[in-house]
Amino acid sequence: MSDIVFSGVRKAFGSAIALHGLDLTIRSGEFVSLLGPSGCGKTTTLRMLAGLEFPTQGTISIGSRVVNDVPPGKRDIAMVFQSYALYPHMSVAENIAYPLKKRGMPRAERETRVKAAAETLQLGALLQRKPRQLSGGQQQRVALGRALVRDPVAFLLDEPLSNLDAKLRAHMRAELIELHRSLGKTFVYVTHDQLEAMTMSDRIAVMNEGVLQQFATPKEVYEAPANTFVATFIGSPSMNMFEGALADGVFSHPALRVPVTPEASGHGSRLLLGVRPEDMTLGAGPLNGTIRVVEPSGHETIVLLDFAGTTVTVRAPPDMPLGIGSVLACDVKSSRLHLFDAVSGLRIAARFGAALPPA
Amino acid sequence: MKMVRRVAFNLFAWSVVGLVAFPLIWMVITSVKPQFELFRIPPTFLPETVTFEHYWTLIYDTPFLKYMRNSLLIAFGTTLVVIVVATLGAHSLVRFRYPGRERLAQLVLFTYLLPSVVLVLPLYLLMVWVGIANSLFSLVVAYTTFALPYALWLLRSFMQGIPDDLEAAALVDGATRMEAFIDVILPQALPGIISTSLFTFILAWNEYLFALVLVNTDEARPLTTGVMNMLISSFNIEWSLLMAASVMMSLPLVIIFAFLSSYLTRGFGAGGVKG
Ligand SMILES: Nc1ncnc2c1ncn2[C@@H]1O[C@H](COP(=O)(O)OP(=O)(O)OP(=O)(O)O)[C@@H](O)[C@H]1O
Ligand SMILES: [Mg+2]
Repeated sequence: MSDIVFSGVRKAFGSAIALHGLDLTIRSGEFVSLLGPSGCGKTTTLRMLAGLEFPTQGTISIGSRVVNDVPPGKRDIAMVFQSYALYPHMSVAENIAYPLKKRGMPRAERETRVKAAAETLQLGALLQRKPRQLSGGQQQRVALGRALVRDPVAFLLDEPLSNLDAKLRAHMRAELIELHRSLGKTFVYVTHDQLEAMTMSDRIAVMNEGVLQQFATPKEVYEAPANTFVATFIGSPSMNMFEGALADGVFSHPALRVPVTPEASGHGSRLLLGVRPEDMTLGAGPLNGTIRVVEPSGHETIVLLDFAGTTVTVRAPPDMPLGIGSVLACDVKSSRLHLFDAVSGLRIAARFGAALPPA
Repeated sequence: MKMVRRVAFNLFAWSVVGLVAFPLIWMVITSVKPQFELFRIPPTFLPETVTFEHYWTLIYDTPFLKYMRNSLLIAFGTTLVVIVVATLGAHSLVRFRYPGRERLAQLVLFTYLLPSVVLVLPLYLLMVWVGIANSLFSLVVAYTTFALPYALWLLRSFMQGIPDDLEAAALVDGATRMEAFIDVILPQALPGIISTSLFTFILAWNEYLFALVLVNTDEARPLTTGVMNMLISSFNIEWSLLMAASVMMSLPLVIIFAFLSSYLTRGFGAGGVKG
């Protein structure tokens, strides 16, 4: 089929390295998100796949064909730009028809295809307008339309929703999921919004500073993050980390102890125990934290606790009485703990027992 | 009170306009006065008799039309060459990454460090050596040398305002580089191209020094030097004819300003943006 394969792809802009050796296989028909903080190389990856940027090293292939030397127009991919990149001097209809025109499609067929695409995206009434006469959401749909009229191997989308307001974004997210399902085409979706990545993707490629951190399903990325970067980047508020050491099968930190059985050896002696805010229970338990900050947000309250110098975020129900400076008893769900090597940051697979009070 | 302020402001504005426009008005009036009325003391403002005889004299009895043709050919030729080269050059300076790109853009402006008087003689010798001296073509080449750097900078700042993504989108949509340039970049750059053309045209139309030095036959003389040569000698200035010639020489520029002034002001604006 038409899998997309990056193998050993490196990209340098002069002395600045945007991508350090990327190996990634995107299966045909898959919805893959490239997720990471600003400047991590997501757009660069997408532009190389589109042929707008050349890899410094390595190969990119679509299907069985290495496309390194294939110009963008011959790669059979469609792209939606973050800025939409609508042609300002062309009407909506002309914008959508442009890729068909460049491929030499006869006029009559072009018009039917444009109509069909406009139908799908509810643009029918706007076909004669110029892009500047459209709202942000409408422009975004035109950009999608220009990609949809063709029948490409893959759709590349670079943060297509980032310029929309929250409500429209949620709506477009649902529409994109629906579109992917009905077309069955490969979607490569760039975002720095983890919610988008988690809700839409079959698999997420988490990137940081030009390095692929983990490529897995949303569930896996959330439940078994490959390293501390992924662990803290995914989830909001982000995962709490207790730094401590392992002795006699017990991980100890000044404020908590947890029995741990690592499934492999070979890790260092300094470890990080990770607990997500949603995996801490409040009101009873062997651990005691001092309340520092209380941030009510209506449906829940985010509380920052001090555990012997380690700041920990927890989620509390909105009606819980929380006095600043008072002590709150907590527990952790032992089935949902994470262990990392403090030096390398890599995940250490382990089983955990119930938390014990500090020694 | 408000009314008074408005009237005062209008009076002031119109008196400035009058001051600036007076020489032009005087030029037009003089050109339609009969010769004997010119030096009357006290001078008449409005002509007692209106005559177009000077215009007819210029057109039928002098090489004025030939100069006009030369000027048009030179100005249009220069504009064409400058625009084609500057558009492609500016696109390259904006879009492609290559070592020394910024340096190159700055180096281009070095031409303006030297006064034209210094450049004109070497240029003349060069023309003679190449074998194109004393031709319309030599003036097109000469004017291109000093209009091009400015045009390049003006267009460069226009093109910097065109988002990279537009061209990238066209490439992904299946256009070749040249098609993307023609379909997407050119329409976006059009206002810039028009105003740059106007600047270049005006520059070439009004140029005097190079024309004086590089060309000395009526076959290639433009209006500026042609009219001077024909009507002004050490002994005599044909005022009536000179004024009529000036009116006709100004016509193309008046037309440009009347219909395309918005493009000119846009050009001034873009030139002001840091490049
Ligand atoms: N044309 C370029 N010249 C030089 N450096 C570049 C260029 N394009 C990107 N970079 C650098 O490469 C790195 C990756 O950039 P990229 O645009 O891929 O980031 P991104 O993940 O898309 O970020 P964002 O979320 O902000 O869009 C950045 O450090 C950036 O400064
Ligand atoms: Mg980006």
